[in-house]
Amino acid sequence: MTRKVVHLIDDIAPGGVMRMLRHMAEGPAIGRDHSHEIRRIRRGALVAPRLEADVIVSHLTVTWMNVPLLTGLRALNPDVPMVHVEHSYTESFVAMHAVPRQRFATLMRVSYAMFDRIVAVSAPQAAWIRRRGFAPAERVVTINPSVDLSPFLALTPRLEGAPKVWCLIGRLDAQKGFDVAIRAFRAAAGDDESLMVFGEGPERDRLEALAEGDARIRLVGWADSPAEAIAACDAVLMPSRREAFGLVALEAQAAGRLLIVSGVDGLAEHQRHGAIAVGANSVEAWTETLRRLRHGGEAERILQGRQRARRAARAFQAAWLELLDDLAAPVGFATAA
Amino acid sequence: MPPVSHSFSRAPRASIIVPAYNAAATIAETLESLLAQTFTDFEIVVVDDGTPDRTLDVVALYDDPRIRVVRQANRGLAGARNGGLMAARGAYVGFCDADDLWEPGKLAAHVAHLDADPEVGISFSGSRFIDAASRPLGLAQSPKLKGITALDVLCRNPIGNGSAAVVRRATFDRIAWRPATDSRPWWFDERFRQSEDIECWARFVLSTDWKIEGVPGLLTRYRVNPGGLSANLEKQYESWERMIDRMAEIAPAFVARHAPAARAYQLRYLARRAVSQRDGRLALSLLARALNASHRPLLAEPAKTCSTVAAAALLSAFGRDGYALAERAILTARSRFA
Repeated sequence: MTRKVVHLIDDIAPGGVMRMLRHMAEGPAIGRDHSHEIRRIRRGALVAPRLEADVIVSHLTVTWMNVPLLTGLRALNPDVPMVHVEHSYTESFVAMHAVPRQRFATLMRVSYAMFDRIVAVSAPQAAWIRRRGFAPAERVVTINPSVDLSPFLALTPRLEGAPKVWCLIGRLDAQKGFDVAIRAFRAAAGDDESLMVFGEGPERDRLEALAEGDARIRLVGWADSPAEAIAACDAVLMPSRREAFGLVALEAQAAGRLLIVSGVDGLAEHQRHGAIAVGANSVEAWTETLRRLRHGGEAERILQGRQRARRAARAFQAAWLELLDDLAAPVGFATAA
Repeated sequence: MPPVSHSFSRAPRASIIVPAYNAAATIAETLESLLAQTFTDFEIVVVDDGTPDRTLDVVALYDDPRIRVVRQANRGLAGARNGGLMAARGAYVGFCDADDLWEPGKLAAHVAHLDADPEVGISFSGSRFIDAASRPLGLAQSPKLKGITALDVLCRNPIGNGSAAVVRRATFDRIAWRPATDSRPWWFDERFRQSEDIECWARFVLSTDWKIEGVPGLLTRYRVNPGGLSANLEKQYESWERMIDRMAEIAPAFVARHAPAARAYQLRYLARRAVSQRDGRLALSLLARALNASHRPLLAEPAKTCSTVAAAALLSAFGRDGYALAERAILTARSRFA
């Protein structure tokens, strides 16, 4: 007998969510004792499905458009424990977009009220959700996401020498702050250094314009796999303007690459595990940081990050197992299987 | 009320940071106004920002145990406030420049406000303007107090001046960082020698979601120094544009959308300063730039904008002779709509 876990995802779910779900389904305990089904739901759908499930896990985006859907889910599945994983919202998100404070708080409270647990993906995000009172503190749990890190752990760490190849990985979107890093790299880097930008997205033209005339900077599109992208570089930069967790950080650390982050939202958590934070997420601060790091000598931090990544996959499995055990009937007595 | 004695083993609830540079003539009045606060559980941190004058001799005349002095090599106003923040021990921290004055109930009002609403990060109040002899000018800043948005901060700076705010230390620490070029943390960006206040408030509102909220009353007396040089207005505008560039690094979409209106308000503000400096030509050119940037100030505050244009035109046409008329026009509009 296994428990059936139904994951609900938006039609525009980011790739990281899919990789996390795959990792969950393949995990030793939560894979063995649970069956995972992924259901795509159109954003703003008015009719909620009745689900044959022991636990429902929402990876949906909380919006006013989705309130009818969430309400319907709760009403049609009254006895099924429901969990929401907050992949999107952070303190920096609401600040940088000047989201109307009261209206947003109402949306979050109304939506979160449908769930038995809210999973924050980083400690800073959890602290923010609790502080703003979007959900009762005891219903908020923090579980760092993880993916299969074995392809990254298989890479040889770059412990020696000065970093020569820096990289940016992710959707080319203003949220990721790649513009800041490109401008800083132009100001800081020497002739023998290069910056590889992996990803596609709406900011491509603007980033190309910022990189124009500088042969050291290359926008190379998506790599075949994230591990392949990271294998090509010495250090990974994450200048995000907002970031709930930032899976790329974990991948970079697993690969034994130097990791430098802006320190906003969930990225602050990586700082505790060996990442270097620039402090102010400005072109000037990134320029100073890149100059300071060009001589290398950060092996200790890189090893600290790798240790953390090794633990991360296990911690992710254990935390989800605990949450599911806590919410659902014991395995063997599950109703839906 | 007898003076309360405070042992150094216990942190006071509030700290008031007084950055001091060439303030010998005014700091006594400032300290008197702070020591007269009805809320008494505070410390005053006077930051000697490498002042060359006798400011510290004046401070030494006060033997109130609540006054502490920290000294540093000159860093400017932002650096002096940062030095004060490093030394301050209170959970609430206020700022009062060494030529401004606090009304007796100011600290009490902000402490009550911050106690009552744990979501408030920055508490502020309106201000009355005084001249060099501490006489009221009949002018006031009575900004919007509630529901302050990032747009309000960028366009209208409701906090108004550097002696109006009392902040919750824990939230203010969220915007601090340690630049690679300095061993000290920065809350205020020390690269700014002007616009350092608005840079800090705007960064606060665009990178955290604590509330900025005002309490009623004109609780600060803010000293306006007459004169000044027109060249400084251009410099002030340059530093304001640098501030906008910095905010665009944090919130590019928001800034791209609202910078034109914010720029128009800033240029209109500088035009009013040019009028008070009797430079009609500069005032007119600043107003032209303001309206080129955006018509928002004209639509949102037609009387204030039009009176500024009228005053600038009068000054420009009639020179200093037109000044009395121009100033009367601007004063009337200001006290009604400021």
